[in-house]
Amino acid sequence: MNLLIPWDKLHGAMTHFPIALLLFSTACDFASVAFNKLAFARELRIVSLYALVFAALASLGAVVSGIALTKGDLWGRGNFGWHHRFVWPAFGLLLALAVWRLVAREAMSRFGLYLYLTLMLLASGLIAVAGYFGGEILLSGGGAP
Amino acid sequence: MTFTREIKGAIAGGLTSLLILIVTFVAAGIYKDRRVMEDPFRTSPLAAQNLSAKGRTLFFQSCAHCHGRDADGGEDAPSLHKLQISGAHMALVIKSGIKGEMPTFSKKYSDQDIATIVAYLKTLN
Repeated sequence: MNLLIPWDKLHGAMTHFPIALLLFSTACDFASVAFNKLAFARELRIVSLYALVFAALASLGAVVSGIALTKGDLWGRGNFGWHHRFVWPAFGLLLALAVWRLVAREAMSRFGLYLYLTLMLLASGLIAVAGYFGGEILLSGGGAP
Repeated sequence: MTFTREIKGAIAGGLTSLLILIVTFVAAGIYKDRRVMEDPFRTSPLAAQNLSAKGRTLFFQSCAHCHGRDADGGEDAPSLHKLQISGAHMALVIKSGIKGEMPTFSKKYSDQDIATIVAYLKTLN
């Protein structure tokens, strides 16, 4: 299977979609709260919802290609291990937030909204750090001494 | 009503996430186990020796002039003794190279060839 599919290239290409879409969705959410009195705040919330849902869907592809690339090694050592320590919480949180948002839509209390925004920030941070270590694996040879 | 939908969404999100994570980890575990069973390194000591011997030959052809004949490092490349990375990661670095530091070998060597080099590098630990 690995002979036919270039998993390294595929994983590199697929991981950027969930990272970019999640960060974009978080930015749209915060902008919609900051400018909630303006007309486009509602459009921003719709855009952030779709970006989050597509981020969650794209993350499935990124995870599958990553597992194929590492031949099922979900932790590892060095930068590899650090990448995975941040990826799995980010992946879980991203899926949970996307489903929560899809079900709740606009029906969020003030507490729920602030909790959601806090978790979006956390997920963005986790995925950004996971992406950083993913880049380090390729650019610096990972944990090679 | 608002509160109910919000709570339902949070519960659904948590459960979906948990379920997908469990499926991912179980599937990856099964996949890893199957790969280990198919690993020629595990089939017999003789096969393992042949594998690392071939890897050693390839290492001398392509890696030794930078990493040293004993793989203990050269002027521009680090020692490969006691690498703290997995075999899959070693294979990835050999295939993809390191930008500005190490060339890629994905065109020169097949996955099987790279697996032999990895097998040799593992014997250095």
